[in-house]
Parts: sequence; structure tokens; C-alpha cells
Amino acid sequence: MNITVAVYRGKKVVELSGDIDMYSSPELREHLMALIRRKVPSLPVNFGNVSYIDSSGIATFVEGLKCMKSYGGRLQFFGIPEGIMEIFRFSKLDRVFEIYGNIEDVFNS
Amino acid sequence: MKDAIVITVPSHPKFLSVVRAVTVTAVRLYEIDDTTAEEIKLAVDEACTNIIKHAYKGDTSGKIVLKYSAGREAFKVVIDDNGLKARPESIRGRSFDDVRPGGLGIHFIKRVFDIYKFDAKKKRGNRLTLIKYFEGKK
Repeated sequence: MNITVAVYRGKKVVELSGDIDMYSSPELREHLMALIRRKVPSLPVNFGNVSYIDSSGIATFVEGLKCMKSYGGRLQFFGIPEGIMEIFRFSKLDRVFEIYGNIEDVFNS
Repeated sequence: MKDAIVITVPSHPKFLSVVRAVTVTAVRLYEIDDTTAEEIKLAVDEACTNIIKHAYKGDTSGKIVLKYSAGREAFKVVIDDNGLKARPESIRGRSFDDVRPGGLGIHFIKRVFDIYKFDAKKKRGNRLTLIKYFEGKK
């Protein structure tokens, strides 16, 4: 997994690529929580280049979402590949996370 | 079930990528469709994740042995470890409505495998058998 934070129209966007599993999710958690601790009002996450996610990765995002909700923040996903979207649907997490097609949809929300 | 593939990996999370790669390669040898292959890859990864977390309690010096095989009726994965005994009766996924971190791995395993069974006769460690029946062979 590779994680970078880009700035798009003055807002931080988390760009992920590769596999998110039990090995890589602690690093993801570290980056995510560092941003969330600063109480960013919204945090878009680009899944476009994510090739795999397991329950450890999902748990990291659920934790992040709970933290953000506690102060009214929004965790926003976009560009989710169909295989990963299917996992979110199966887990009924497509109803829990804010999911958008692309970055423009996030900014227009 | 002939032509089994057997791999041994250390109980370190960095080897989960190896497990996934071998699982997908094995599944494709048996001409299983891509969607099911992805589901099996996730399920086997989750089973190994559980072994690292619960059987070895994060000890990365253990071993996980995976044996893949298939016959006319089913695809089978047998996973052995030498960690702490699992208590199958306590392995339960969370409700999908109870949104919290964790508790999804077992759902991902049972979504694709028809049989999920611990060998009660194994004296030390665990032997988990996962069986996916082919369409119409259940």
C-alpha cells in the first residue's frame, strides 16, 4: 500500500494505492488518525488505485469514521473499484460511508 | 482430491500478500470464475489474519500451512497452525447493523465457503477446513 496526501482546490485528499490488509492498515491508521486529530471538517479518500481491502482495512476506516462523526466531520470515499464496492455492499457499509463517483462529486456534495 | 498445492508461511502479516497470490493462482488452476476467486482470496486471507491475531496472538515466529486441492465436486483449503486452540463456538461475526471496527472477517469467510470447520481431533494448534462446492454439487 502507498499513501500520500495531495491538496486539491486547497483541501487535503488522501490518495491510496495497492493492497490494504493487516500488514498495511496500521500505517493507514497512523496517517488517517493524524489528520482526524486535527479535526479536519472533511476528508476525501481516493480509492481509485486500491487493489484490495480486507477486514483490517475496513476496521481502520470504521474507526476513522466514528472519530470524525464525533466532531461532525465527514469521511468521503471516491473512485472505489467495483470489486471493493462489492465488499462494502456485502458488509452494508455502502449505507454507512459517504461514497462518491469522483472528486468533483465530493466537492459538489 | 489429487494435485494438492502446499505452502508454509511465517505468521507475519507481511506474508499475507504471498498467501493471496498463491490462493488466486491455485483457484485459477481449478477454473473457478474471477468473482469467486476474489471471494476465496479474501476469505483465505481473513482465515490467516485470524490465526495471526488469535492463535499466535501476534507472535510472528509461528507457521501457517495451507493446502489447496480440488476434485470434481469442490475446492478445498486446509489451514494448519500451532497456535492457541480456537474456540469455534465463540467465533461470531458482528451484526452488519452494529457498525464498529472488527467482526467482519468471519462473514467474508462464510460468504464463499460452504464448509468452515475446525478439526476437533487435532491435539496441538488448529486445523481449519474450508470447502467450496462447485455449482450444483452441494
